[in-house]
Amino acid sequence: MTTWVIVVVCVIAVLGSKQFCESARTRSQSVESRVKGDEGAPVRIMEFMDFQCPACASGALYLKQFMVEHPRAVRLEMKYFPLPMHRHGMESARYAECASRQGKFWLFHDYLVERQTQWKDLIDARPAFMLMARDAAMDTKQLEVCLRDKSIDAVILKDKAEGKKLAVTSTPSYFVNGETAVGKSQLETKLKALLNDSKK
Amino acid sequence: MNLYVLIRFFIGFLFIFSGLEKLLAPYQNFLYVIQSYDVLPDGFETAAALSSPWIELFLGVFLVVGLWTQWVLTGVRVLLAAFIFIVSQAIIRKLPLTECGCFGEFLSLPLPVVVALDSILWVLTVFLSRKIEIVSFMSLDNYFNEKESKSAR
Repeated sequence: MTTWVIVVVCVIAVLGSKQFCESARTRSQSVESRVKGDEGAPVRIMEFMDFQCPACASGALYLKQFMVEHPRAVRLEMKYFPLPMHRHGMESARYAECASRQGKFWLFHDYLVERQTQWKDLIDARPAFMLMARDAAMDTKQLEVCLRDKSIDAVILKDKAEGKKLAVTSTPSYFVNGETAVGKSQLETKLKALLNDSKK
Repeated sequence: MNLYVLIRFFIGFLFIFSGLEKLLAPYQNFLYVIQSYDVLPDGFETAAALSSPWIELFLGVFLVVGLWTQWVLTGVRVLLAAFIFIVSQAIIRKLPLTECGCFGEFLSLPLPVVVALDSILWVLTVFLSRKIEIVSFMSLDNYFNEKESKSAR
């Protein structure tokens, strides 16, 4: 009898607390420059990533390919979630946000993930980021001014704070039509299931 | 209060904390940790992500209140042995994991430290099992045993 009382009390306490935590998780407005895909797409993905994380690069490349194969299926929104364990996580996000202000976010994002192995182990990755900025035909003088702007950090940290509110702990984390998927494997499973559902 | 009881409480609260942390977050976070260890077949990964935090929580709670203590200690040992195996195989296979994911965002430990800590805990549970009468001080097991022996008189 005592055993069952303890079990039931634990289950009720945990489920109640979980319900409370989930209701506290709210989402903010989208940043248009970091959104791509059809506005009326049935699948809406919010992605939290760190550009230096290899799993994020793998997930981003998969998503890019998926969106090429299913051009009207997905609307993707990217949010910064630089991890402290990654030396260039914050710096790469700064460059990406400056690219966003020049309307070149997705091009620069693709360069960052496609060339990640070339810069992630460098002691100073800024020359590599500058090279990518030139390849993306960004205005480098404007970029240098932008990098000194403190509001850039505020934008990145705001995204990260939002991720933490949504219980993001690892990258990449995705919210596919509001449901959590962590890592490429879970994302693949969710997208395949949604595609199968839409075919029915 | 004796040292054995303190160790019982320590291990119990550690398991409660570890279980609660995973249960209050979306289960996909812990599923991702399990998938990173690449040791279970696909279908079992989700089952493990959903069930193991509950097992951790119940083992912790039962250890703290001291109910079914000997069985619970065996359960804790089995779970610790599984953790040691899973983390060790990740080290041996050189999987790209920098931290264990055992306590979510609250505590990040390198894999070799986790193996060492879990091994120490495993040894401690062996000692606790051998001294079950001393360990049962301040426990429901003790309370029920005393109640039973009083009613038998």
